[in-house]
Amino acid sequence: MLELRKDIFADERDDNLKEIGKGTQRQDMLGHVTGTSTYFDDHKLQGMLHLKVVRSTHSHARLRRIDTTEAERSAGVRRIIRAADIPRNLNTLLSLINFGKDDEPSLAVDKVRYKGEPIVAVVADSPREAYEAMEKVRVDYEPLPAVFDVEEALKSGAPVVNETYPKNTFTYYDVYDHQKLRFGDVERGLAGADHVLEQRYQMSPIEHAPTETNGSIAAPDTNGRYVVYTSTQALFFSVDTCAKILDVPSNTFHFIGGTVGGGFGGKVDTITEPLCILGAMLTGRPVRYVLGREEEMQYGPPRGAERIYIKDGVMRDGRIVARKVRAYFDSGAYTRLSSYAAVKCAAHLPGPYTIPNVYGDVYCVFTNRTPATAMRGFGVTAMDFAIECQMDKLAHLVGMDPMEFRILNAYRDGDMKAHRREAKNTALIECVQVAAEKAKWPLREEFRRASSRQGGGGERAAVSPTPRDARPQPAMASQQRTSYDRAPVATREPQPPPPPPSSPPRAPAAPSHGATRFSSVFGTRRR
Amino acid sequence: MPVTVKTFSNVGEAAAALSSDRGARYFGGGTLVMRALNEGDLSISSIVRAQDQALLRIDASGPRVTIGAGVTFARILAERDFAFLHAPARSIGGPAVRNMGTVGGNLFAPNPYGDFAVALLALDAVVSVQGGFGARDIPIEEFLQSRERQAGALVLSVSCQKPLAAEAFHYRKVARIKPKGGSVITLAAHLPVSSGRVLGARIALGSMAQTQVRAKAAERALEGRPLDASSITAAASAAVEGTSPADNALASGWYRREIVGVHLRRLLSGQK
Repeated sequence: MLELRKDIFADERDDNLKEIGKGTQRQDMLGHVTGTSTYFDDHKLQGMLHLKVVRSTHSHARLRRIDTTEAERSAGVRRIIRAADIPRNLNTLLSLINFGKDDEPSLAVDKVRYKGEPIVAVVADSPREAYEAMEKVRVDYEPLPAVFDVEEALKSGAPVVNETYPKNTFTYYDVYDHQKLRFGDVERGLAGADHVLEQRYQMSPIEHAPTETNGSIAAPDTNGRYVVYTSTQALFFSVDTCAKILDVPSNTFHFIGGTVGGGFGGKVDTITEPLCILGAMLTGRPVRYVLGREEEMQYGPPRGAERIYIKDGVMRDGRIVARKVRAYFDSGAYTRLSSYAAVKCAAHLPGPYTIPNVYGDVYCVFTNRTPATAMRGFGVTAMDFAIECQMDKLAHLVGMDPMEFRILNAYRDGDMKAHRREAKNTALIECVQVAAEKAKWPLREEFRRASSRQGGGGERAAVSPTPRDARPQPAMASQQRTSYDRAPVATREPQPPPPPPSSPPRAPAAPSHGATRFSSVFGTRRR
Repeated sequence: MPVTVKTFSNVGEAAAALSSDRGARYFGGGTLVMRALNEGDLSISSIVRAQDQALLRIDASGPRVTIGAGVTFARILAERDFAFLHAPARSIGGPAVRNMGTVGGNLFAPNPYGDFAVALLALDAVVSVQGGFGARDIPIEEFLQSRERQAGALVLSVSCQKPLAAEAFHYRKVARIKPKGGSVITLAAHLPVSSGRVLGARIALGSMAQTQVRAKAAERALEGRPLDASSITAAASAAVEGTSPADNALASGWYRREIVGVHLRRLLSGQK
């Protein structure tokens, strides 16, 4: 039962909501419940061929030789697609917004970096004939030592997973091997705390498990264009990704999607469309490429695994005075979207609490596992799980009620967040109060009376003196540019000398158009 | 080569087609064979079907029941006389799988499936098989142990004695996803009690070895003894004996060995 608590923050809002609190029919609901919605795989085109992919059986291996002669002669085979057939066989998803370096081939070249990596594609008259031809592809592997653990991957001497990132970490702003958050002096905070609690949290990869597996059907159209029916969650993103990989203008494609049989983030990676379209280009026939269930489960990108260490300092009265977080995102063998997840994670620290000293190091790490991607609040969900487990443990440690402990530490309007932005419309306190009320959880009077609009700001709005880390020098040239990036190449400004540790940091500059702007993805950037 | 579909009107012809072709696979409800074909199993070159009413026969009137191999779990659940088999039938798949999956096919279902066969093993069922040389009856234990070699044979039916008392038969499937997950382990026990003592104890386990197996040490611990705390404890601690569970995505072999005694104890002492 939906209940709108209009009594809370009633003065902040005109009570004229048009949608919230009212029953609205989803526009696609009728089709779904009557079974008439059209999915990509509902298109059976005349002369349609079927594409299947030969996948690596090794987690990390050099490809000595790929022999397709027997497969090419196999019954029903129309075309074998090899890495050399792909116009631009190196891409990274976020290159479309100029973030990250191209690191992932559509078909493996020289080396495979995870078990299940595509090596060769077979296009045949039927799925069965494609499977039969796949059996006849001979791949000669030279196994290499593999690394599956994020912390092992960071040790010196660990196998290099992805040569684009030789340190097995994603590179931020051309320089950093991780995302940093520094606010106040966390070591001093920990030293002055009554209790210090350090815990390790480990999350496993999670498969999105859509009812409809990833797939697409591409068919030649008039005027050299291609119609593409696809399960993608990110239609225009997929159009541009295909245009880049196949090195054609994006208006070559007419993508038809919109009905997704379950996405949850697992259908943004454009993993079937490029090969599918290329198959149609090379054969002149419609081509269908759909992942099987096992392919989807095993090699479809999951939510990435994360390892998180949290070290908190808490006072006897329940105030958290320092929070130090180290997190490792397992990106798998290639970047996909975990690089961005780490950015989101750093932006989320230390959770919705006002803590005067916060320190965060968030790494996006490459391992020989299936590349991870987006899933429902990725970058934040796992960190929140860890933080809230930690909050319960801290409450227990100081002998406080866990709900009251959260109200005590919750940020309030006017507080300074660890990102040096003022907290506004915080409302966590009210949420906890309503949750306690609904659960008939007793709160003491002072916590029932607490408000997110009172008690914030003032001392809590101050930025504590923050020691600066040594800045690494840029190791390489500025970020790789793509043909999609029309902006002139940015020149790096000389670094300002680090100020003495005790001086308060500058206030953030007010954003203005045409001047330097801050983006959570790019950092400070000139427009 | 495309897959050929051969449909016969009687089981004799179907059995002959099945035994004459190494790549032939019998198609019951399709819950295993179609999945294999869809996932590109090239060991199947043809599928054999039989539209013989004999496969759909049910005889539940007497003390000994006979179930045609083509009978689905949904149909078992619809038969009041099969009440003792409802728990295992209900533990299989979701409604879609129960509507298609057959009793005969379940005998061939690899781990983590094949729960119905666990129940049948505890009930000392007999499998009636049509081979190249006519029909013959095989005790289910022997059938399961030689399952790999039975691929060319066509199962016609299974039969077993109804438990004399409903409370003599116990069944439990331990799954991570309820109600339709694969089996972590499956347990079935038939413990007829005569004059306060267990006589003819049968305990069967699923997912504890390559195929469904009997826990013979646990059976011995109960045989001739009253079903009480001490005999149950003895059976629980002997449950793991003779098993060789493997690792899979649902659980490790170690975990299965650790929990089998726990669950057997709960099953026999009527705990949830």
